Amino acid sequence: MFKTEEMEINLGPQHPSTHGVLRVKLHLDGETVVRCVPMIGYLHRGVEKICENKTFFQGQVWTDRTDYVASVSNNLGWAEGVEKLFGITVPRRAHYIRTMLTELNRITSHLLWLGTHALDIGAMTVFLYAFREREEILSIFEAFCGARLTTTAFRIGGLREDIPPGLEKQVRAFQARFLDCIEEYETLLTENRIWKKRTIGVALLNAEDAIALGVTGPVLRAAGSTYDIRKVFPYAAYAEMDFDVPTQTAGDTYARYLVRLEEMRQAHRIVNQCLDGLPEGPVMAKLPKVLKSEVNEVYHAIEAPKGELGYYFVGEKGGVNPYRMHIRAPSFINLQALPKMVEGRLLADVIAAIGTLDVVLGEVDR
Amino acid sequence: MASPRYSLLRTLIPFDIYGGMKLTGKYFGKVLRQANRGPKRTHVVVEYPEVAVTLQPRFRGRLQMIKDEQGEIKCVCCLACEKICPTQVITIEKGKKEGRKTPFPLQYDFEMERCIFCEFCVESCGFDSIILNHQFELAGYDREDFSHGMEGQFQNMFSITPVGHYSVASED
Repeated sequence: MFKTEEMEINLGPQHPSTHGVLRVKLHLDGETVVRCVPMIGYLHRGVEKICENKTFFQGQVWTDRTDYVASVSNNLGWAEGVEKLFGITVPRRAHYIRTMLTELNRITSHLLWLGTHALDIGAMTVFLYAFREREEILSIFEAFCGARLTTTAFRIGGLREDIPPGLEKQVRAFQARFLDCIEEYETLLTENRIWKKRTIGVALLNAEDAIALGVTGPVLRAAGSTYDIRKVFPYAAYAEMDFDVPTQTAGDTYARYLVRLEEMRQAHRIVNQCLDGLPEGPVMAKLPKVLKSEVNEVYHAIEAPKGELGYYFVGEKGGVNPYRMHIRAPSFINLQALPKMVEGRLLADVIAAIGTLDVVLGEVDR
Repeated sequence: MASPRYSLLRTLIPFDIYGGMKLTGKYFGKVLRQANRGPKRTHVVVEYPEVAVTLQPRFRGRLQMIKDEQGEIKCVCCLACEKICPTQVITIEKGKKEGRKTPFPLQYDFEMERCIFCEFCVESCGFDSIILNHQFELAGYDREDFSHGMEGQFQNMFSITPVGHYSVASED
């Protein structure tokens, strides 16, 4: 009398919990997801091609606009990649300030993830507290470089200017209360029974699958791997910093939540060390007036809040712009794990899986 | 891990929900004590259009040209800003002026609709003739509202953009 059939529905592209313009094609059998196909490209601007037509100096403004919640990390990747291509040595003070701002940016990115991910799953309160702290860090960015979101914070060879007077005090005031703030988020979520029911065992991804899919960042570390570029291939001032790489073994949404919270604590530690050990000296290296490249290629990877962010440059002889530029965007590659996480699971867990991957669509489509 | 007996107790008595409500209650109390009705008043919210927002000294607003003490335009048309601009919003027409040794900009077109406020132009300028001011109310009604020219035009590079006058803050 009754018959069942598979149904195909679209989640997005204008769905509030897809964090942008992600469209996910879902084949449903009742409430169970049979097949999941992420459809991307709604925010494609051709950043890589644009950067090939801009000089090495100009291209940095486009990196602000790929992963727009972690633009300082993207600026660092670009600047260090170009410095590697030209063999420029950056002063030590510039390295310390870069490290400090990048770690503050990791905190903002994780706070935005925490707020929106909890909001998707149903915890409204954390969103308000997370954004309160994020606001404070954005003020620090504004004091340093004049913009809150599209920072363009660093320059090739160092920094444009030294930190303004009063910034250290501002950062220290934030540092003094931030650990208590993490305690507040933990009070609201870690032991909360609704949060645990929605996250434990949801969107499982084991380490083998994660490595096979190229997944990096907190998603990989929550599955048991200790791969962190800050430790494996230290860049900026990370070789001189003392910090731990938090890992979990469960590989589910709850484990990723714990890893990211612990990462915020470690970022707090690194910022403190940067402030205490801030060396004196110049912040800008001596550069030739026009940067002209030779025939060579460079891949430089940094640990962005979302995973391994790599910049690949190919230079041509006498070229003032990259012959080829490619961004290895962590969000784009982490998104591949979505079908693996949700197939055979319930529809409601798709929202949790998208949230836990922490994708930013500006970076997925570029 | 907690012992089974403790976890049974935890299932029956909602400690977790109590903890969360306590935190929310703490902030409710704080607001009641410190908001308008309390003895110690601390405002977090700025009543923006009526009250001006404090900006950081390095805030990047609209591009503006500046003059020296004699009222002479500092720009010497070296075209450094035009070359560095990632979105090509600046167009300069070079010219000469009586009694001035250096070249003089006859026309300095700034198309704000494409400007991304990166401050590269100010950084490249060797004569400190342009700055990014602190104006951020830059909304306009049509495309002409975004093109700025030299002195004498309605929107020029030397004063703040008149579209800013549409804001509530400058109504009276």
